[in-house]
Amino acid sequence: MNQKYIFKTKQLLFTVLIAATALSGCKKFLDINENPNNPDTAAPDLLLPASQAATGQIVGNFFQIYGNIWAQYWTQNPTSSQYKSVDQYNPAATAFDRPWLILYRNALINADLITKAEGSSLEYIKGIAYLMKAYTFQVATDAFGDIPVSEALQPSLFPAPKFDAQSVVYDSIFNYIDKGLALVSVENSASPGSQDMVFQGDMENWVAFANTLKLKAYLRLSYVDAAKAEAGVKALYATEPAFLTVDAAIKYLSTGGNENPLYNEMASPVLNKIQNLVASSTAVNHFDDIDDPDDNNDPRLAKLYDLLVTDSAAKTERSIPQGTYNSYTGKQVSPPSPLVGARANNTASATAPVKFISAAESYFLQAEAVARGWASGNVAELYEQGIQASFTAVGAGDATDYIADAPDGAAALGTTLESQIKAIITQKYYAMCGFQGFEAWTEWRRTGYPDFFVKSDASIIGAGKMPLRMIYPSTEATSNKNFPGLVSIDKPVWWDKKHQ
Amino acid sequence: MFILVCMAGSAMAQDRTITGTVTGKDDGQPLPGVTVVVKGTKNGTQTGANGKYVVSVPSGSTQLEFAYIGYATQTITLTSSNVVDVVMAIDLTDLAEVVVTANAIKREKRSLGYAAPTITADALAQSGTPSPLTALVGRVPGMNITSTSNTPGSSTRIVFRGGSSIAGNNQALIVIDGVPVDNSSVIGGADSRSSVDFGNRANDIDPDDIESITPLLGPAAAALYGSRASNGAVQITTKSGKKGKTQVTFNTSNTFSSILKLPDFQNEYGQGYAIDYDENGAYEYYNDSQENWSWGAPFTGEMQGWGQTIDGVRQMKPYSAAKNNVRNFFNTGFATDNNVSFSGGSDKSTFYLALNTLNSDGIFPGAKDVYNKYGVRFNGKTDFSDKFSAGVSFNYNKIDAKQIAGGQNDNSVFDNVLQTARDIPLDKLGDLSNKYNGFGYTDADGVVHNDKYGYYGSYTLNPYYIIENFTNDDAINRITGNVSLEYKPVSWLNIQNRLGTDTYAERRRTITPKFAFSPIDEDTNQSDHNSNGGYQIEQFNVTEVVNDLMATATHSFSDDFKGSLMIGNNIRQRTTSTNRTATNASLGLVVPNWYSLQNSNGPLDVITDNISRRRLVGLYADLNLSYKNYLFLEGTARNDWSSTLPVKNNSFFYPSVSGSFVFSELIKPNNILSYGKLRASIAKVGNDTDPYQLLTTFAKGTITSGFGSTIFPFGNVAALQAGTTLGNPDLKPEITTAYEVGTELSFFENRFGVDFTYYQNKSKDQILAVPIPNSTGYGFSVINVGEVQNKGLELTLRGTVVRTSDVNLELFGTYYRNRNKVVDLGDVDQVVLGGFGGMSIVAAANRPYGEFYAVTNQTDAQGRTIVDEDTGLPLPTATAQYLGSYNPKYQASWGANITIKQHWNVNVLFDTKQGNKLYSRTKDILAFVGVSAETGGQRFGLPFPNSVYLDEAGNSIVNNDVFYNKQDYFPDLNPGVNIIDGSYVKMRNAGISYTFNKSQMKSLPFSALSVGLFGNNLFIWTAKENKYVDPEINSGGATNEQGLDYTAQPSVRNYGFNVKVTF
Repeated sequence: MNQKYIFKTKQLLFTVLIAATALSGCKKFLDINENPNNPDTAAPDLLLPASQAATGQIVGNFFQIYGNIWAQYWTQNPTSSQYKSVDQYNPAATAFDRPWLILYRNALINADLITKAEGSSLEYIKGIAYLMKAYTFQVATDAFGDIPVSEALQPSLFPAPKFDAQSVVYDSIFNYIDKGLALVSVENSASPGSQDMVFQGDMENWVAFANTLKLKAYLRLSYVDAAKAEAGVKALYATEPAFLTVDAAIKYLSTGGNENPLYNEMASPVLNKIQNLVASSTAVNHFDDIDDPDDNNDPRLAKLYDLLVTDSAAKTERSIPQGTYNSYTGKQVSPPSPLVGARANNTASATAPVKFISAAESYFLQAEAVARGWASGNVAELYEQGIQASFTAVGAGDATDYIADAPDGAAALGTTLESQIKAIITQKYYAMCGFQGFEAWTEWRRTGYPDFFVKSDASIIGAGKMPLRMIYPSTEATSNKNFPGLVSIDKPVWWDKKHQ
Repeated sequence: MFILVCMAGSAMAQDRTITGTVTGKDDGQPLPGVTVVVKGTKNGTQTGANGKYVVSVPSGSTQLEFAYIGYATQTITLTSSNVVDVVMAIDLTDLAEVVVTANAIKREKRSLGYAAPTITADALAQSGTPSPLTALVGRVPGMNITSTSNTPGSSTRIVFRGGSSIAGNNQALIVIDGVPVDNSSVIGGADSRSSVDFGNRANDIDPDDIESITPLLGPAAAALYGSRASNGAVQITTKSGKKGKTQVTFNTSNTFSSILKLPDFQNEYGQGYAIDYDENGAYEYYNDSQENWSWGAPFTGEMQGWGQTIDGVRQMKPYSAAKNNVRNFFNTGFATDNNVSFSGGSDKSTFYLALNTLNSDGIFPGAKDVYNKYGVRFNGKTDFSDKFSAGVSFNYNKIDAKQIAGGQNDNSVFDNVLQTARDIPLDKLGDLSNKYNGFGYTDADGVVHNDKYGYYGSYTLNPYYIIENFTNDDAINRITGNVSLEYKPVSWLNIQNRLGTDTYAERRRTITPKFAFSPIDEDTNQSDHNSNGGYQIEQFNVTEVVNDLMATATHSFSDDFKGSLMIGNNIRQRTTSTNRTATNASLGLVVPNWYSLQNSNGPLDVITDNISRRRLVGLYADLNLSYKNYLFLEGTARNDWSSTLPVKNNSFFYPSVSGSFVFSELIKPNNILSYGKLRASIAKVGNDTDPYQLLTTFAKGTITSGFGSTIFPFGNVAALQAGTTLGNPDLKPEITTAYEVGTELSFFENRFGVDFTYYQNKSKDQILAVPIPNSTGYGFSVINVGEVQNKGLELTLRGTVVRTSDVNLELFGTYYRNRNKVVDLGDVDQVVLGGFGGMSIVAAANRPYGEFYAVTNQTDAQGRTIVDEDTGLPLPTATAQYLGSYNPKYQASWGANITIKQHWNVNVLFDTKQGNKLYSRTKDILAFVGVSAETGGQRFGLPFPNSVYLDEAGNSIVNNDVFYNKQDYFPDLNPGVNIIDGSYVKMRNAGISYTFNKSQMKSLPFSALSVGLFGNNLFIWTAKENKYVDPEINSGGATNEQGLDYTAQPSVRNYGFNVKVTF
């Protein structure tokens, strides 16, 4: 016998009803997707230090290493191997992934977000952010040439930012400087105070920074577009600008994670305080050639390097020629001093500053503007102020004797434009040793000075070729549809007319 | 179940009453719960706890049918006797008549429209591994199981039918008694280059507690678990008590382990390197005593000094190969796994209680690779009334383990072991108080110098010192379980509610010592050993709560046409909390030897501190229709509402349909085909994403540079910065669609069986964080993009070759092939799954998932290596190349199982994977230091094998005359050269056991006793070019980063004995 079972409609309906009631409470039950771990807004004064510290990592670490090696202050230590590819002029594209990331994803985006912040009394901090953007874009374009600017930092509008010509990048830089200058010059606004890692909210210094940066940027165009440079400098001087008399720099701390970025890199568990960077004979012998008593005898040398004496028994070398690490195996070579943050096993390196623009640089820029006849003033006076500022910065005392006696001192200035440019840039080169390697290498690219660079012994690029730019990063090549293609290291950037 | 419900029908006119006892043939014990049916009627009953039954037989009925899960059904023709005792035998050919499907629903296997093989406790026991997942290897096609080192607690990855998710978790969902459990794999250490394998959590369950495992291979099978089962599910059913006398079972497994495979070494050259040589073979060697390099002079056998000169004395040894210095460094590991269980019950209730301990000390010397697990399980069920019953399942595990790091850092023992020159007697350097071996030194005057070391090496630490001083601790407390209530208000309706939870807390501690040692011998050029030290704590808390409310209605439309409908509601919540905090990232510890966050030299490094919570509500329905026991149709439908998707897209619906046709029922009984079934299914599964993917957020200011970083707060300055990933408020669910068809056939009274499946699945709209240009200001953008396709076939063959009363010989084999392709990735070419600077493992468009991507040696059209015309060294390719996938082209297994006179059981199982690639850093580092076999032989004055150089027109010219130096080549290999064939054949298991029968144990208090020898991972045969490692080892744990030997821990072979006794 079979019995058929009948669905009880009422019971079924009741079940459905319960389910439906439960579901109406669902909406609230599911509304839990707000991130409890990370804020989705950030006040501008919290973003500013991240932006500044990121530029500090670039100028003070990555580009410091490349710059100081390519400006021939430093070379690879024969007893280690980390930067061989830099001395070989053969860095991989992947080597620039991280600096490019820091430039755009740490320095520039955070500055950009500040400039777009809404609220009152934000003039000063927005002004600083514009100036950080201008400064950082200039560092980036001086390194890589054409870079994304107009379509950069707008992911929803431009998921694949196009690369702008360097001339366009420079126009944007001037635009950002003007915007920044106007904002930092207003009478009254809220000071970012200590959240400003460079000047601690001193807006007079930011005005001077803006003027000096503008001078620096126009002078960079002096060979590729002299008319534009001249007009720009003259317009700037017409505003009776104040220029920097102090370093625009981040001062680092000995606390772990707050140290000078190069020292922090060297002290990391991976590099483990191994000294990879040592004195290159190119710089050392021009500061003070030990075989020539009548040379510069520059007292700054002993401040910038922890000098060793060449001694075959002790296996020590005062310096080695650029890129000769293979010829000096087992030799100890003078390392840079903790003053510049590059002495790996000396904790005093931790507090070395990272200089965005130095006081000495400011004077040398002004001296060049005057020398070129684009500004009024006294070339020799500004030149000597620059040298003195450099001596003061490294604790080398009074520069009067040096200026008087050194072949590269007052005597070098001469009267022709070319001799003056040569003297100014060569002195700027000495002043930037260890602190501003990237800018020194960049000014060599622009002016051809100093004229005593040699080809690295380790170079594996063709005869007569020198590194004239950094390589585009491979991450951008693989992710950006508008990537223009790799450009080789020996191809000059747009403003570089000395290496065509 | 269906049958049982129907049998509860009202009784008919009774003519006679039959009684009897049903016992099991294997142990002679009464069998409770055996279904007794009067053939041709709906009349029936079940045996009680004592195996007895009483049944009314109407006049005209002549046969009784006895059916019990796992036993061969018996039909008894009635005689005049009213007492019918039956002895039932275990059905060896088809243990899995009843299959546990999604939500712990039991179904007849014949009714399933998809593959759902079952692995029984016996098969699990044969493997002798403490991991239930590893025990599945080679048992069922369609699964790719990788056990990283085969040691207790090591990671096991289980993927069904290829990886379908580009960035998501591709592993099958692990479900215990209907409740999903967490199977997270978080590798320890910064990344796979410095990894510590702390295992993954599915291995926590004790195999002794498992009744059966049913892998639900496709999404069809798992539609009812919802989105998490889109990669299939591994369903584990734990043991439950049986009604009747309480049984006490004690099971002990004792396992020894040793290294399965070590690299092949050269035994010709020792410490040092050639410093001056030319093409003509004139060279000079430098025996640099601090070296890890073995590029020195050929062995002479002469006595010579080595290491530092300490207190004026230098050690002497013959300059010859220490051939076994690596093998002898390792010990024999030992593990003991003990389980005692109590099982029993009354008419109304059953229980199962088990206690388990697993204590293991692995192959590394010292006690820093130990794994101790303690567990208790209680499963109980009781019937309050005919309508109402309740059950509970509870499991607690406590794990205390220490693991040894792999990878390339100072803390990697294996890395330091491998970087030992061939003449260094590494295995004799274990006495750290010996001044030539240790770090820290007491001079001849008794003055202690804690800043001096006497060890010979500048570039390695003494591995014994590492074991002694570096520690990776792991402590886990975990509770899983569920309570269920079942209510049958009317005979056709069953309402069940099951509330389950899985909650655990894991705490890992990593200790890195602080030291600064300079060499004792001041005249040596040996360099210093420095470490800032560090201490890190990682805490993970995961809690999952799942509730299922299911109502099932059954209905017979006619004798032949029956149906059931289940509707259910599923609510689940998962909360996690992760905290990873370490001493200061750059300065480490203040004072040595004090491991506490309080000893941080500077601000603490808070690496991760987050919590997450997600919820999901699902409604589902499952309709089953059957016609005459040979035609079955199932349809499922589910709608999920997920908290992780935007409100507008958070509801998603997915259906499945499957059918099965047992055509053998339509064929007359014959001697050839005993059973034949066709099945087919089509299913769709939706998937949500991780929490907090919708909004772009800000992070703490941290500028990460090459090796260091600027970390805020900076003094008193705090900072936030733009996040890495752009959120997406418009995400939609991912959708996977899967088809499968298959057949199950058995012949000659079930002596031979074939099971075949073809499947195809496609996942699209994957939720991916794709890399975007950094010039946008962000690194990744979360979008719906991409499609991955898998096609494959699975084949199982089974045959009982010999079946006599004394001997039963069963052979079986499986074959599994999966073709995987990343069909589309939107705007990007590839997504990186893992790897490191020089080599990536990627999902690239139009290629199989998991391709290796690296620069390698250039070859010409004929496959000859292109070398530089001057140096004779291979030239690198200009760009990275795709060099094959870590997924095997096919897998197979074959095994045999022999039973002799019901006492002896002998089993063996082999398995293979073919066509998979592997990146071996072990190969790379051995080449770098010049100890691998490939660096041996003549080192100078030969051309690179099978090489050409190019003339100006780019034509290949066979190279016979440009010689290369191995010392210039091997220390700097292109990464692609280290990508090798990962194919292997393994003897996976072998075992022999003896079971005593009752009569042999009359004088003993046992009711059952078996003893056995077993082994697993016993032998390996690798591809010719793999002279280095077991390709199963992996530095990426159970993540999508597979095929990566970044000096991963060596795998072990295990062998041992077990004894199982029942009182």
